[in-house]
Amino acid sequence: MLIICLVKGVPARTTQVVSVSGVLRREEMDLVLNPHDAKAIEAAHYVKKMVGGKVVAISMGPEPKILPIMNDLTEPKEESFYVPRVSFDGFDERIILSDRRMAGADTWATSYTLACGINRYIKNHFEAVDKLIEAVKNSTAEDVASLAERLYVENLLPNYIYSKLPTVRQTLVEKYTSGEISKETFISELDKHKQDLSRFIILAGMKTSDGETGNTGPQTAEALSTMLGRLIPSIAFVREFEISPDSGTILVVRKIGKTLQRLRVSPPCVLTIDSHYEPRVPYASQQKKVRANSYRGKLSKVLVWDADVIGADPSKIGFMGSPTIVGPGYEIGKPPSQKFVGETLIFKQNVDKIEVNGKVYGPFKKGDLASNIPEQLLNKLKEDGVVGYFSLEDLVDEVFGEMKLVHRAV
Amino acid sequence: MSTEQYRDVWAYCVKEEDHLTRPSLEILAAARKVADKIGQQVGAVIIGYNLGGVLDEAIAYGADKVLYADEPWLKNYLCLPYTRVVCGMAEKMKPYAMLFVADELGRDLSPRVAYRLNTGLATDNINLEVEDYYFGPTNTTYKNVLAQIRPDFATRVAKIFTPRHRPQIASIRPGNFEPLPEDRSRVGEKIRFRPQPVPEDFSVEVIEEKQLPKTGVDLEAAKVVVSIGLGVLKDGSGNPRSPREGYELAKRLVDLVKERFGVPAELGATRALIYSEFKELEGLVTSERQVGQTGKTVSPDVYIAVGISGSVQHRVGMIKSKKIVAVNNDPKAPIFDIAHYGVKADLYDVVPKLIEIIEGRFR
Repeated sequence: MLIICLVKGVPARTTQVVSVSGVLRREEMDLVLNPHDAKAIEAAHYVKKMVGGKVVAISMGPEPKILPIMNDLTEPKEESFYVPRVSFDGFDERIILSDRRMAGADTWATSYTLACGINRYIKNHFEAVDKLIEAVKNSTAEDVASLAERLYVENLLPNYIYSKLPTVRQTLVEKYTSGEISKETFISELDKHKQDLSRFIILAGMKTSDGETGNTGPQTAEALSTMLGRLIPSIAFVREFEISPDSGTILVVRKIGKTLQRLRVSPPCVLTIDSHYEPRVPYASQQKKVRANSYRGKLSKVLVWDADVIGADPSKIGFMGSPTIVGPGYEIGKPPSQKFVGETLIFKQNVDKIEVNGKVYGPFKKGDLASNIPEQLLNKLKEDGVVGYFSLEDLVDEVFGEMKLVHRAV
Repeated sequence: MSTEQYRDVWAYCVKEEDHLTRPSLEILAAARKVADKIGQQVGAVIIGYNLGGVLDEAIAYGADKVLYADEPWLKNYLCLPYTRVVCGMAEKMKPYAMLFVADELGRDLSPRVAYRLNTGLATDNINLEVEDYYFGPTNTTYKNVLAQIRPDFATRVAKIFTPRHRPQIASIRPGNFEPLPEDRSRVGEKIRFRPQPVPEDFSVEVIEEKQLPKTGVDLEAAKVVVSIGLGVLKDGSGNPRSPREGYELAKRLVDLVKERFGVPAELGATRALIYSEFKELEGLVTSERQVGQTGKTVSPDVYIAVGISGSVQHRVGMIKSKKIVAVNNDPKAPIFDIAHYGVKADLYDVVPKLIEIIEGRFR
């Protein structure tokens, strides 16, 4: 099974955000794995252990910034700046969708781009099998074997079709070259494999720690549906799921409002994994089958695909392909005025204008800050008890004063 | 079709038991605000089975018309059939904007609806305005565009615009709009849609639906939240304290606020405290009380942070609170950067005093 995991690079420290007129300048910051993706990664590895196949991480973002994340996704590491602690065995393949034209994308354009990448990825596997079928039809058994080997090395054929693993015996290519199965049987087996390829699963985190939208999972499903001409269902907020060993059925538990839904779905589908998710322990008895359905292993090279490789329509990606535009923002960081108990001087009562040496101060309302007042005047106001330090009593008045008291019947 | 021909502001409303949910009433109020600004109507979209009285309820709470589908096969919420029905309505009626609640259902449904309608989706808005928007790259000013205001990267608020596409779709965080007063004398039009089920939409099958037991914890609806952090483990002299003591104090304050002011109040906590899994707090301070990036985002009238240093992750979850009070004996705690009111003192001294003062002032 093709197990596709969507991952994202997010700013390492939310404080270290560099934005130019509302567009996040990702290439100017250190990016780390979105913490919410950890659950999707665990889910992806659970699926691989259950049914075999391979796990691929796909991310859109500037290559130099995503690369360190992808590097740390090959093998689990004790300590990594880029990838938080997550229990997994590493990804078989890692793909970065990187192109200047993809910059500034909103969730619509991001999902479109990701779907193009996924579509390309799946197509590569179809094309590999088609090539093999072509060879079976037109070439010698020897050519078929050497083509199969090449495709196997590129991770494009599962072990049961071709393998060099000593633990996998009786591959389809072996059976074919030894004459144990006919050309027709071989081709029909390869056609079956093509059907398996179309039963992929896509896993995504519930949201990202920077954009926080949660849109990308469902929208990628929608975008891919358009491209594949068949509706790919999406289920968000998955907190539990179980896949049958034949990979035919997925049972999902998710919470929608006050309802806990138990759902059944068949691949292909997109699941967005919630923070409550804990992977189940896979059955040990399935190991042989899982191995046969899996691929050669890990590709050491991270693939980098641009818009042309994935066949993306340039008018649908990046800033110009995004229906939404982030307008000017404003800081809500520091409150306009702050009051500290025992530190801040405030007016304890309403005061009319005060004139000192031809300058007018005020009028002041109870609670106003006693700032920008000459020291001499301030001292006098303090002496008179008009100005004083902000107290707990003042705090209670200001914070709760506007709330209406509940009048209870006596 | 030009964008000006798209009319009306829709609110996607959800029925729970026999009523519309409170957040549904809130987005009806949000739709009303926008519709009144541009002289258009409010449409409530309601999908389900046996809708009964909620159609009138939507009108009583501000809708001018109700667009609904009431079919047995729409009894359970499922993304694909619901997406098709909502998109069908939108393609036929062409609304100016569509609002969803930013809860699980809204987040499951609205992304697909927006993508299929080939339009933008701004999530998690806390306010909506109508403005003209100048778009540099095409040198065009778009008139009367929805300004979708949402929190952005920790301490910023951003305005999101969907100038070139219609409908403009936005999800609204619960707790940011006050429902309009119920007015049963309002009249409105009820427009029934009769969609046909499409087999392809039922690739996901509902095996079972279970109503979750009410936990009673509703952080988002609380007007006052008192949160505790790891600071409760020590008092001002540095002596260790049981986290239970800090909890009990905060709980007393919460109960007092509820009793005196009759407003919903809740106890919150930081991730650090919850994940420390103290025995003393077992069953009392559970993850549903977590405020912050990986927990709930709250925007109550009053947020009292007790013994909380104020990591960025915590601050994103509460920075929109209208009045923030911080109690912490570490004067350098970053929570004081964003607090409207700060008390740099021992919480074991301050909180009992606060309780005493409130008890004295508000009889």
